[in-house]
Amino acid sequence: MERRQFLSLTLGALALAVVPASVRAENYRETKPTVWKAHTVEDAMQALYGSTTTIEKGVKLTAPDVASNGGAIPVDFSTDLDIKSIAVFQNVNPESAVLAISTNKYSVNDYSIKMKMKKSGTITVVAQGTDGKLYSASKTLDVALGGCEG
Amino acid sequence: MKIKAKLKKGIVSVKAMAKHEMMTYDVAEKKTGDRNNANYITHISGTVNGETVLDMTTSQFLSKNPIFKFDFKGDTFKAGDELVMTWVDLKGNTETSSTDIK
Repeated sequence: MERRQFLSLTLGALALAVVPASVRAENYRETKPTVWKAHTVEDAMQALYGSTTTIEKGVKLTAPDVASNGGAIPVDFSTDLDIKSIAVFQNVNPESAVLAISTNKYSVNDYSIKMKMKKSGTITVVAQGTDGKLYSASKTLDVALGGCEG
Repeated sequence: MKIKAKLKKGIVSVKAMAKHEMMTYDVAEKKTGDRNNANYITHISGTVNGETVLDMTTSQFLSKNPIFKFDFKGDTFKAGDELVMTWVDLKGNTETSSTDIK
C-alpha cells in the first residue's frame, strides 16, 4: 500500500513538473534551470546549448564603449541568420546569463534591451542556428558606475 | 506595462516598458539582509491572435523598469489586432497588458 501511494505520488509530481514546460514552448527557466545559476559565460553557454564552441560571425551587437550608468546599459543585438534561439551573457555579474529568447517563424531577431553590469566587462550574444551551430558576437566595454547595487 | 506596436512594411515594431523593481540577490542582501527577497521578471511573452511573437526568459540583470524593443513579422497580422504581453516574476506575480497594433 505504501509503495502504491509512493508510486502514484511520484507519477503525479512528474506529471505536474512536465505540464508547464510543454504548454510554453521554451521557458528556459523551467527547461534549463542551471543556466541562470552559472557563474561564467562558458558554464552558462554549456548549460543552455551543450557547447561553448561558437563561430564569431553573423550576429551584430551594439553597446556603448563607455557606459556611464551600469544600471541601464543600452544593448542592441540582431542577426539575419536562421536561428532557434538567441541569448545574452556577460562576465562580471554574480551570475552570467542575462536573457534567452526562443524564436519562431514570426521572429525578426532585432532586439534592444537595457541591462545591468557591476563593472567593466564583456557582453556576449550567442545565437543558435537551425543548423545546430552557435554564432556569437562580443563587446568589451567600460562601466563608469556599477549597476548591481541598485 | 506600457506597450507601443507599429506595423510598417510587413514588420511590427514593438517598444515596451515593464514596471518592476528587478531586485538582484546582492541588492536584496544589502537592503533587506536576506538574499531571498530578490525579485525580478523571469519571463516575458507576447501573443497576437493566440500566436506567440515573443518568448523571452529573463534574469535579474535587466535594468530596473526594463525597456525593450523587438520586431516580428506582420504579414499575417493587421493594424487593430491586439498584442497581449505578460510578465511573470520570481515570486509568481504576473501582469498582462495589451495594445492594438497601429
